[in-house]
Amino acid sequence: MRVINLSFRYGRRTPWVLSDAGFVLSPGDVTEVVGPNGTGKSTLLRLLAGLLRPVKGTIDERPDVVGYAPERFPAAQPFTVAAYLRHMAAIRGTDPRRIDEWSGRLGMDQLMGHRLPDLSKGSAHKVGLAQALLCEPGLLILDEPFAGLDAATRAELPQIIGEVSARGGIVVVSDHQGELRALPDLRRHEVRDGTIRELPRNAGPAAGMRVTAQNGTAPDITPQGITQQDDSTRDDSTRDGTAHGIMVQGVAVLEDGSPAVTVLEVAVVTSKAEELANRLRAEGHVVQIAREAAE
Amino acid sequence: MIALARFRLAGYARSHRALQPLIALLPLLAILYATPVPAGEELGAMADSAGILLPVFAWAARGLLDTEPDEQRMISIVADRRGELLSGIIAACVFDLGLTVIGELALLARLSADPGIGAVMVGVCLHLFSVIAGVALGALTSRPILPSPAASNLVLILGYLAILLVSASGARWLTVPVMSWMKDGHHDVLMGHLPLLAVQSLLWPLLGLAGYTWLRRTRP
Repeated sequence: MRVINLSFRYGRRTPWVLSDAGFVLSPGDVTEVVGPNGTGKSTLLRLLAGLLRPVKGTIDERPDVVGYAPERFPAAQPFTVAAYLRHMAAIRGTDPRRIDEWSGRLGMDQLMGHRLPDLSKGSAHKVGLAQALLCEPGLLILDEPFAGLDAATRAELPQIIGEVSARGGIVVVSDHQGELRALPDLRRHEVRDGTIRELPRNAGPAAGMRVTAQNGTAPDITPQGITQQDDSTRDDSTRDGTAHGIMVQGVAVLEDGSPAVTVLEVAVVTSKAEELANRLRAEGHVVQIAREAAE
Repeated sequence: MIALARFRLAGYARSHRALQPLIALLPLLAILYATPVPAGEELGAMADSAGILLPVFAWAARGLLDTEPDEQRMISIVADRRGELLSGIIAACVFDLGLTVIGELALLARLSADPGIGAVMVGVCLHLFSVIAGVALGALTSRPILPSPAASNLVLILGYLAILLVSASGARWLTVPVMSWMKDGHHDVLMGHLPLLAVQSLLWPLLGLAGYTWLRRTRP
């Protein structure tokens, strides 16, 4: 799928949301769309899904079958989960028996008889994912798919995305949580100031690299690519009570000596922790809030 | 496309919104047919019914199209890119035809004399014209085109009034000739004028639906 000179704005007197953007997505690509709030990530996803028409430029070679899960599933509909998914399967021309397969994988078997308006946010979100996956999409577009999901489904979703990719599907995901960083060959596109630029690919452990810490302590790399070290290795000079202090705790290096992952420890006042974490995630960094309250 | 039309009809029927045009229709029929239709007035009564029910058809069509949440409409577009727009029109027509059956049955039940098959067929034709005009007006005032509920209501009501006023004026060829239906029906010339009225009655709604299609290109 080729995005060529894409420009978009919602009205003639409104500012451009995207301007002269271009990139190519090949079969099997999984790309994560990142960027601060309000920069046009959802707009880009809707353009890719064919819901919006580019004002300038073109989007070529879009796969015929597109699965789209919006950020907020529209639960205000007078159907049970089962009836809704049966309707969606009929609209898609999909075998309705596939509903059982996806309800099982997404852990929603017990929800099938529930009315959509009665569902919790996370449960409704699962229904949105199920309808997008029913049709074996050639292009799967997921807008914040991890929001509100339980741990089991959060763990299952990257695997599902990997399967779509493995059979040649293109997957485009807007994700603030960075849950896909463990996927091999994950591409990342940043939307910022009306432009789209591709960020360097994730160089996490999933790429098959073994890393060691510079101080000689082997760090434990989690599936999310977060380096964890024992508290005893921390430099106490960072605990002087200064808010917003940033310290490089350790530099992970490849065996050949080149830097691979740098682990920063950031002390920040609690009220600003979430904001800073989101900003760093939007810039493509892996962030974990280690302590909820300052010591 | 048919599956999507069925989904929309099911959603509309299961929601309380489907009751709104029915609540408008039933008192209207009760008032219209409080007294029996005198013999010889059958065609006029049928034309009156078709003209008066047009805003009810428009309201029902708009309600059906707007029942689906915006995000669901986007899911539907992605699921059936080519059929999404047409499925909404088909679903609205089917629901309005159901209302037409209720209106026609009430009318036939209150006739004093047998109208004859010809008059009944003309009545059915006029109601079909009214349904198509109502669906076009409803579609043009639906949420993707007019997101503000206040503006949508106002345009729907003013649109119907404009149709009545223009069709009563010398420039009646500029709109659906609703007043001509009624006038000709009461003067027993409707049968003879029907071919020309049919062209006018279909032309404007079809243009309206073409406009709706064009506007929806940039309004998912």
